[in-house]
Amino acid sequence: MKVSAVRQALLLLALAFVPAIGEAIYFRNKVSWQSPIPASELVTVEQARSWGDNVIWVDARPDNEFERDHIPGAVSLNEDRWNELLPQFLGQWSPEKKVIVYCSAQSCNASREVAKRLRDEAQLKNVFVLDGGWEEWLKSKR
Amino acid sequence: MNTDFLKLIGIAALTALAQGARAELKWEQTSVDLKPALGDKQAVAHFKYENIGKTPVHFKSVHASCGCTAAQTQNEKVGPGEKGEVTATFNIGGRTGTQVKTVTVQTDDPDPSHATTMLTLKAVITPLLEIQPTLVFWQSGEEPKPKIITAKANKDAAIKKLDVTSSVPDFTAKVDAGSAPNEFRISVQPRDTSRAVYATLTIKPDSPVNTASTFPAAARVMPPAPTPATASTPATKSTLSTIRRDPAIPAATAASPGH
Repeated sequence: MKVSAVRQALLLLALAFVPAIGEAIYFRNKVSWQSPIPASELVTVEQARSWGDNVIWVDARPDNEFERDHIPGAVSLNEDRWNELLPQFLGQWSPEKKVIVYCSAQSCNASREVAKRLRDEAQLKNVFVLDGGWEEWLKSKR
Repeated sequence: MNTDFLKLIGIAALTALAQGARAELKWEQTSVDLKPALGDKQAVAHFKYENIGKTPVHFKSVHASCGCTAAQTQNEKVGPGEKGEVTATFNIGGRTGTQVKTVTVQTDDPDPSHATTMLTLKAVITPLLEIQPTLVFWQSGEEPKPKIITAKANKDAAIKKLDVTSSVPDFTAKVDAGSAPNEFRISVQPRDTSRAVYATLTIKPDSPVNTASTFPAAARVMPPAPTPATASTPATKSTLSTIRRDPAIPAATAASPGH
């Protein structure tokens, strides 16, 4: 009886592997829309606040969301108008300050993309992504 | 053992059949790969579907993951046997590289596992010009040696030369050929580093593909700071080219120590 149950369990497990392997092969070249981000490049709202004035906030959300509201003093830099907005940001950048990029929420990817471009293309150091984004900032104010 | 195995296969087959019968909206593809041409402003994906069920399907919502993507259906109601498509228009803006955007489609399918479908648009955007670094800067009082910006042109863009203009006359820029084909070296130099100054560098390739494109970079002499910062690599050699002041670009402001 016991042996039969184990056999059945193993058989079910083996059957479950068939579609899993198929999916793994089918999606092998598909990239995730959420690029992974090392923990060292993420900051919480609490950490960011502890840095005080030593921070340049970068708002990676679309223009209309930035216009509606944003973190005080934040600079708008989104990929919709990257070429127009980048010079404005670079004019305010300072090597002594940390750059924190944020977008709408945990699920958005814009802050990661903007932070990556600032590191790779502008070769800036101390560029971080705000964990939880604007949504988390708002929660911390309540 | 054989009986058990057959039972299991039977259950799996019946489950699959039952699910197939319930699935009414059948998608031709839920993932589309796009390769927009150089200079394209948009990439459009078409996700085709067919109602293979016996009852009409109504779209409840079609929602894109990003404000940069607009998604819409042809009709709100899809009758049995009818075909249609969801169109997702991705506005490229200043994006480069691999971009993955999703569109979530919700229908009134009573089966919750089929009521929501995730459509994926993947676009690989190749830039006309890759500029690195987009910022060169000098500390206050640093020796005003030239610093190099490298511009790699897309080989399909047939770029033969670059024009670089500074928004202020405090910087000069010289362009010469880089070490690799389709590569340019832009040598930027401040006249002096005694005062804080900022310039937008407008880089214009002579590409026949997209004549309107310009690319930004910036050059700065920083205000005096408490801690020195690293600087980019100095230039080794370059040939002289002319720098014109672009009157369309507003004069840049000197950065204040408060920033």
